[in-house]
Amino acid sequence: MRRISPAISHAALALVPIALLLCTQAHAQSDVVLQAEQTATRKLDIRVDRVAAPAGGAAAAADLVGRVIVADLRNSGFFRVGGALAGEGEDLPFSFAITGELAGDPPATGGGGAPSLTLRLQAMPGGEMVLGKRYAPASGQLRATAHHFVDEIVRLLTGESGVNLTRIVFSRGQGDRRDLWVVDYDGENLARLTANRTLNLCPSWSPDGQHIAFTSYAAGQQGVFLLETKSGKVRRVIAAAGLNLGPVWHPQQQELLLSLSKDGDPEIYRIDLQGRVLRRLTMSPAIEIGPDWSPNGRDLVFTSDRTGSPQLYVMDGDGAARSRLTYEGEYNDAGVWSPNGEQVAYVTRIGNRTFLVLISSGGENRRLLTDESWRHAEDPSWAPDGRHLVFSSDRSGVFKLYVLDVVDGTWRQLTAGREEDITPSWSR
Amino acid sequence: MKGFRRWMLLAMSLTLGVVLAAGCGKKPQVVTETPPPQTEVQPEPSAPVEPTPAPAPTIDYADLAPGEYGIEDVFFAYDVSTLTEAAMAVLDKNARIMNEHPQVNYLVEGHCDERGTIEYNLALGEKRAKSVVNYLVSLGVAPARLRVVSYGEEHPFTQGHDESAWAANRRAHFAKP
Repeated sequence: MRRISPAISHAALALVPIALLLCTQAHAQSDVVLQAEQTATRKLDIRVDRVAAPAGGAAAAADLVGRVIVADLRNSGFFRVGGALAGEGEDLPFSFAITGELAGDPPATGGGGAPSLTLRLQAMPGGEMVLGKRYAPASGQLRATAHHFVDEIVRLLTGESGVNLTRIVFSRGQGDRRDLWVVDYDGENLARLTANRTLNLCPSWSPDGQHIAFTSYAAGQQGVFLLETKSGKVRRVIAAAGLNLGPVWHPQQQELLLSLSKDGDPEIYRIDLQGRVLRRLTMSPAIEIGPDWSPNGRDLVFTSDRTGSPQLYVMDGDGAARSRLTYEGEYNDAGVWSPNGEQVAYVTRIGNRTFLVLISSGGENRRLLTDESWRHAEDPSWAPDGRHLVFSSDRSGVFKLYVLDVVDGTWRQLTAGREEDITPSWSR
Repeated sequence: MKGFRRWMLLAMSLTLGVVLAAGCGKKPQVVTETPPPQTEVQPEPSAPVEPTPAPAPTIDYADLAPGEYGIEDVFFAYDVSTLTEAAMAVLDKNARIMNEHPQVNYLVEGHCDERGTIEYNLALGEKRAKSVVNYLVSLGVAPARLRVVSYGEEHPFTQGHDESAWAANRRAHFAKP
């Protein structure tokens, strides 16, 4: 997992642990991963103790660290969390415990003493340390520090990359004005990225997190623009006549995949970051939109209504070797390839409702991920862990963003407020 | 006849006035009078002594919203971009008006109802706007005068989640470019 440029919010992430304490990882790790594999669908029981700290500002800072750790562990989907901070009893047969201390002046107080945050993962019931980290968090880095530690735990115990330092960019607004906003994966550090009094839609992170490509009506018609996350600068990539829709990044190369209708109806193109067409991939009198690369950058899934209704198809990066992916349902769109390449999530319309669907990249094992209670579930985007999807739903009456765990079906609301939140993109 | 009726009315009102005045005169009373509200006194606009002929009104139709001089939006059935008979009848009329004002350009906005996905609706909205443009061009409107933009489901005319709202939002709207 690559981390996101810190410049968008104040949470700078210079998170190099300054010391690895008493590392007993060498032998513990293999045992622990094995244990986690055996319990792939069962959750690991983990206890989070209060982070010890001297009274005053340090206590509040330590409390924040503890709460972030609890939330991250729960959000990962791998753990059942207990302990005082989790608000649950301590009588579970915990497999692990997290302990820690905050020493020195906490960053929040701006004191001169170097703060030091030590966090440990211990195997229970014996208490042997499996992972130990000491951090020197600067001001505003406490959350990021806790996120980093839980990412390390997830990687160690499950072999998967954590998503605690990822972000989600999305479009928020109403009517003829929508702006891009960004939020941490857990709903914190919400920030607005554009303020140009027009429609800004369909943002997409670059794989390195340095840029966001998006569709905007900034010039009175659609164009594709590039926002540099570090500086906030926006520049136009292309504004061909007609649709300039839904840019997505190539997973390895500096190029975009999008739909242009400059020659009549929407067709799928690969363009470079200067807006030059590298290759036109489709040529039909139908609507061809919504492309997304497979993680290896060889194939792409896209939507075409060449049969009279929108369906998902797969083709290679030259536009050859096309095959139809979806047959069930009269309206399938917005396919997104899972990070491990094995599945495609998409949107199907049944009656007046829309539902999220998961299907294998070979077209088998179709299953609905949402039910009627979600009203309209749309705009899926994968987390880099391949386990979580962020999407929009108007189950509350207005479109907001939600995060769904496709393994165990649990979900949480990511954004709140009265305005519509749509077209999210989860950073790598 | 007219003169006689006017004379009669005048006579009747004079008689009534005399009767009322006589009634008041019999029993004098202290009457609290409320001054008439000031606001009722409106200065009469002075009529022009010599009415000069007003200059012929020069309306720049390019400054008006197309809807202000008879150009109407057209509506679509669910999930399609083909024109209905009713839509073609409206466009026939729109084309006549457009051809009367050949210097005016138009923005044709394609819109969809909220059902369906964002991107597909943006594509469908464009398809609707383009089928309107194609029909207008077939009626003699110069293609260069018609610019297309799609707002998909992003820009609804009517809020609501029922068929009447959906039907109102499935449209091609004419605007100033």
